[in-house]
Amino acid sequence: MTAVLIAGFLIRVPEIPILYETSRNLFFHVPMWFTMSVVFAAGLVFSIRYLMNSSMRMDALAESATMIGILFGLCGLLTGSLWARFTWGTWWTFAEPKMNLSAMALMIYVAYFILRSAFDDPEKRAKIAAVYNVFAATTVPFLLYIVPRQLPSLHPGADGNPAFSDLTAPELRLVFYPAVIGFIGLAAWITQLRYRYVMLKMRTERESASTIS
Amino acid sequence: MTKLMTFITLLSTAVADTLSSAYSDRWQGVQDPEHGNVIMQTMASNGLIFVVLGVSLIIWFVLITYLFRLEKKLDNLEQKQ
Repeated sequence: MTAVLIAGFLIRVPEIPILYETSRNLFFHVPMWFTMSVVFAAGLVFSIRYLMNSSMRMDALAESATMIGILFGLCGLLTGSLWARFTWGTWWTFAEPKMNLSAMALMIYVAYFILRSAFDDPEKRAKIAAVYNVFAATTVPFLLYIVPRQLPSLHPGADGNPAFSDLTAPELRLVFYPAVIGFIGLAAWITQLRYRYVMLKMRTERESASTIS
Repeated sequence: MTKLMTFITLLSTAVADTLSSAYSDRWQGVQDPEHGNVIMQTMASNGLIFVVLGVSLIIWFVLITYLFRLEKKLDNLEQKQ
């Protein structure tokens, strides 16, 4: 990660009109979304595994992964907004499908936590949250990758084109792929931290409940 | 009454106008950053490198804020035990 940060600022980038130095943002903004997708996918796997064996560990893992996914999605939205202000000239535009649909995907996941907070019984909460997460995760590829590609947009990766197009030079990939791996590793670490916190909380709550009764 | 109606019509066209300009193909909703205030001018200088700095700072602060909050929650948990 440190190497990525240094290299991200120091390597020579080809000069692209409009973007100028901000083509370096490719190393920071795009991996956010990659990481978010990976973490949400992990959350989907954990949710399905919860539905299969009903172990609270899987529920804690799914919940942590979803939380970290929202965190990285938020980073992606904020960085995208800042980047757009200086290259497209506006913080936010409703004519941009990728922006709005990714915001919508995040809303769906925020609703996951609202749904969780609605149940007091942990078993019931875990089961319903897992079912909802399966639904939420299936919308992500459509909202983020399929639909924006069918619509005209300024965002790279629209209008039927893959995201790596004439805008991106091959030397950018040298830093881009380590950046993606680094951020995914960072996300896995933070997810694990939260998972350990959730498990610890569960255990202390059980202990305090048993001492009271 | 007619005055009110004209006012409402004017207002609605004004709203519609802002919408149509925001939805237009020009994409530039506002002025160039070069003509903004000092912060905007600085951000737009040096080939927009400060935008890259801003982007990395956003990521850094979002992640560090989350980690601090997690640590605070852990503190609470430790005190309960």
